[in-house]
Amino acid sequence: MGKKSAIKKITGSREALLALILIVMIVLVGIINPAFLTPKQFSNMLKNNAVCLVMSLGMLCVMLVGGIDISIMSTLAFSGMAIGVLIKGGYISNTLLIFLIAMLIGLGCGLLVGFVISRADVPPIIATMGFQYIFRALGYLISDGGDWVSAAELGNFKNFGTSRFLGLNCVIWIIIFCYIVFFIFMKWFPLGRKIYAVGSNPEAAEVSGINVKNIKLMVYTIMGVLAGLGGAINVAVYASAMPNMQKGGEMDVIAACVIGGVSMSGGRGSVVGALLGALILALIAKALPLIPFFDQLWLNTIKGIIILVVVVLNVILQRMADRNALKGREM
Amino acid sequence: MSDYILELKGITKIFPGVKALNNVQFQLKRGEVHALMGENGAGKSTFIKVITGVHKAEEGEMYLNGQKVDFKGPRDAQAAGIAAVYQHATSYPHLTVAENIFMGHEIIRHHMIQWKAMNEEANKLLQQLHTDFDATAEMGTLSVAQQQMVEIAKALSTNAQIIILDEPTASLTTRESEELYHIVDQLREKGVSVIFISHRFEDMYRLASRVTVFRDSQYIGTYNVDEITNADLIKAMVGREINDLFPKPDVKIGKEVLRIENYTRAGFYKDISFTVHAGEIVGMTGLVGAGRTEVIESVCGVTHQDSGKLYLDGKEIHIKQPSDAMKLGIVLLPEDRQKEGLIMSWGLGRNVTLPVIDKYAKTGLDNNQKEREIAKELLEEVDTKAVDIFQPASSLSGGNQQKVVVAKALSQEMKVVIMDEPTKGVDVGAKAEIYAILGDMAKKGYAIILISSEMPEILGMADRIVVMCNGRKTGELSREEATQEKILELSMEKGASDRKGAAN
Amino acid sequence: MAGKSGRSINNVPENPVKKALLSWEGILIVLFAAVNIFCIWFSEYYNISSVLRQMPVYLAEVFLMLAMAFILVLGEIDISVGSIVCLSATLTCMMSNTGAPFVIVVLTALVVGTICGMVNGLILTQFPELPPMIVTLATQIIFRGIAEIVLGSGGSISVKNTAGFKAIAGKIGTDIKVPYILFLVLILGVIFAVILGKSTFGRKVYAIGTNRVTAHYSGIHVQKIRFIIYTVMGTMSGLCALFMISSSYGANTTTGENFEMDAIAMAVFGGISSMGGKGNLAGGLISAFIITCLRIGLGQKNVYAQVILLIIGVLLICAVALPNIVQQIQKALSVKKKA
Repeated sequence: MGKKSAIKKITGSREALLALILIVMIVLVGIINPAFLTPKQFSNMLKNNAVCLVMSLGMLCVMLVGGIDISIMSTLAFSGMAIGVLIKGGYISNTLLIFLIAMLIGLGCGLLVGFVISRADVPPIIATMGFQYIFRALGYLISDGGDWVSAAELGNFKNFGTSRFLGLNCVIWIIIFCYIVFFIFMKWFPLGRKIYAVGSNPEAAEVSGINVKNIKLMVYTIMGVLAGLGGAINVAVYASAMPNMQKGGEMDVIAACVIGGVSMSGGRGSVVGALLGALILALIAKALPLIPFFDQLWLNTIKGIIILVVVVLNVILQRMADRNALKGREM
Repeated sequence: MSDYILELKGITKIFPGVKALNNVQFQLKRGEVHALMGENGAGKSTFIKVITGVHKAEEGEMYLNGQKVDFKGPRDAQAAGIAAVYQHATSYPHLTVAENIFMGHEIIRHHMIQWKAMNEEANKLLQQLHTDFDATAEMGTLSVAQQQMVEIAKALSTNAQIIILDEPTASLTTRESEELYHIVDQLREKGVSVIFISHRFEDMYRLASRVTVFRDSQYIGTYNVDEITNADLIKAMVGREINDLFPKPDVKIGKEVLRIENYTRAGFYKDISFTVHAGEIVGMTGLVGAGRTEVIESVCGVTHQDSGKLYLDGKEIHIKQPSDAMKLGIVLLPEDRQKEGLIMSWGLGRNVTLPVIDKYAKTGLDNNQKEREIAKELLEEVDTKAVDIFQPASSLSGGNQQKVVVAKALSQEMKVVIMDEPTKGVDVGAKAEIYAILGDMAKKGYAIILISSEMPEILGMADRIVVMCNGRKTGELSREEATQEKILELSMEKGASDRKGAAN
Repeated sequence: MAGKSGRSINNVPENPVKKALLSWEGILIVLFAAVNIFCIWFSEYYNISSVLRQMPVYLAEVFLMLAMAFILVLGEIDISVGSIVCLSATLTCMMSNTGAPFVIVVLTALVVGTICGMVNGLILTQFPELPPMIVTLATQIIFRGIAEIVLGSGGSISVKNTAGFKAIAGKIGTDIKVPYILFLVLILGVIFAVILGKSTFGRKVYAIGTNRVTAHYSGIHVQKIRFIIYTVMGTMSGLCALFMISSSYGANTTTGENFEMDAIAMAVFGGISSMGGKGNLAGGLISAFIITCLRIGLGQKNVYAQVILLIIGVLLICAVALPNIVQQIQKALSVKKKA
């Protein structure tokens, strides 16, 4: 009985397990290299992974309805490049306006993706693959063939990445703000719960009067807006804009969600899980160079193995839970 | 004000190629429990979906409290106070019980969901139903019976005036059924009207005051439960003498072909043993969820038993996957034609030849000529009503799809034929043809296992009847000793509830 | 022999020529002609010999498409192939630099690819519950990660002895020089197309992709077939790696990047549905050549590679979306007519 309830607890509260792993990792890294445990290091880690952290929220929504979006980093590059070019040309300089424009471009991209998927029934992987090409190309085109915008040309905006508010980096404030908004939205707003409903059982959702197509359109739009926001953050943090920024980064975002327990087939996943998944990934990237023998070159291999272990472990635990449930059935 | 809270007149519903309901009527009194009975495929479920606005009837009128209503969709029916608990739970497995109950009508203040209030409210409803789980439990972790309770709680939460229960006891144990009876009694006391679909006579006698019978998509009659006998009711439901429909040939039963010994799979079935002889039809029956299909699927290698032995012609055999069974001549005609039996978008010919493709196309390349010959011959042998072998399986009616499944089986060399609910959702004419094919097979000396929930079918066709209940074999009856009552008794298994009571 | 009621069921198929003309492949052939006419108009350098000269780089990806078609017909996806190409190319370069005979070098490429494919296949068949997208996402990161470790901080390797690779990059003919790889693509293309479209193995693949449960009940070894296909996908990635080296005489950490997307795009544009059970390799091959010609033609006039990708992206989405939209409109119209 004791074994059974232990298994149930682990599979039941994934977030608790992830949080535990995260804490253990932080402690281990701290023992190996005490210099890591400073607030500055933490704040740098968060800042450098801000894009992945913020966009995991959008990917959470997309994956909750059983979809996937691999066009996000192209959207990010397009919107980031667009604001870069606009700042360079001297059209805009207000930080708030810059963020708004980036998010608006993201919104447009997301709407387009959402329409193609929800209305023309194109499978998400194929549609977003196409848009991955398209948005990335648009980024190149507006950059006039791959020219990048340097820190000097970004004017005041380059300072945003280092500016502070109440002692905390502004980029980190954005992350906190996004997570609070999504935590509330996904938990307490009927619209957020509808995303879960559609992912859990689309037919039942349709019968109970939820417009499944519109929910799908909405999640890809949310993803787009966050990708646009990610574009602005990326430009601010790295103080430059180039059309090939974050190429391949969508896999990190998906990986963060998968590690955080978001199911690929929809219905399962939480904001806290996405946060923990993204933090674990960020911590691995940060900590790996500190550990002897391993160096930065090992990062991807270890990341991949962790994803694989997490999903395989999930299946094994699920099988064990199912078997136990069956054994418990009276006959 | 009208005597009837709900009244339907002249309802006709047509699906492509099938008249699912033909000019049926129905009257529900305020505060009564009304049973709706009929064989599988008689149109009960379709009728329920017309009431709840899921389907729109081509003809007919519906009156609620004497006023004509016209539902555009399920939401309208909900708003009018009609709630349905379907046979298959329409729940969200990843969400909590409370969310499932309140989906679509959450308790909201300041645009925010009030979880605390919702959980309290849900727990109140669950307490009324005497359930043993909390509103914060995840739906997917509950048992089927518990999910059913949630569905009922959902119906209650909308303050429905009419609650429709579609075979609610089908997957419940005796004790759980007793619980449900109690709940229905409570509902009646509150003045809620209940429509109750069930195959169990016990349910009807225990609960309903009136019963309406449908047969072959038509309305047969409405009777007071006190005044009708079992025999009359069966006659109304079946509508014909049982012998006419079942051309069971007299076949000399040969030697033992298949022997199943102590088959056990945790959670599905336990200690099942029986034999089948050449030329013999062994019926397997029991309530839905008794484990019949699961036993057979393990015999055919679709799943695996935890322990138990299988003998073919006296030799022990080991089956790891379906192809092993098929090589040895054990052929399964699965229960779900559309999901397990056929590839619906494929042509009939390709469906028929799928299991034997390696046998006739020996070079590894397709042999289209041979494929067409085989398919034509077999499809004609079972008399499929089709134009050509290229039309997709989805274009046929249920009965003809079943014939294609039979043709697919016939393409193989068989010793043992296992048919799982071969006449489910099949119209009467095609049923008779399928029984005739079954009889022919027995004459040819195949050993046949027929799984069926339909009592007349089992009584009419089987030489021997194996009854299962709750994963166990509860009895085996010969053709002579088998009666409706005996089978029912064995498939309800009084002992099960006693044991359970003792364990607590 | 007719049935009891004497009903006869027709088993003569309709005229295949008429069917072919109305199919997606028919449209693709017209499109292929149109693209070539456009390229000739667009670029004065566009002619047979220039196309044949520039073709090999693009053709290496067609190998991937051939195997990817099987995976898509299964209703699955493999996004690790680009990384397999990278790892296989890296290790092959290293093997070549040890001075091993060229046969061993070729075998290295194929064996490394095959092993990677087997890893995918093994995980996916042992845990059939796992979505292929996630598993191959993980192996995508792992395979390229291993290549990164092997390549070290420099991130690239070049072959010292290029003789063997020069040989396989060779051409036949005097005036019009046809590269070997074109022959290989066509031969393998025909073989793969026949296996998928005309063999019992192919029939089973379609059965699995259309209805996995029925396939299982019908005695098809679903997991065995999946394993074989993922393994072959790996082998083809190794072959692709070999030709990638023969065009650049080296490998680096970005070798094969996005190749999986290109392969999927070619196959899907060729009418092979990513939902499984639909399409054939004739369409896949034609679409591969359409995309190749378009890349060459636009590339000759220095159109940005990104613009070409943009065009491919638009074509891809339209190819999948338009039939769906047309179908929806037809449905809407027929409903209106009924009402």
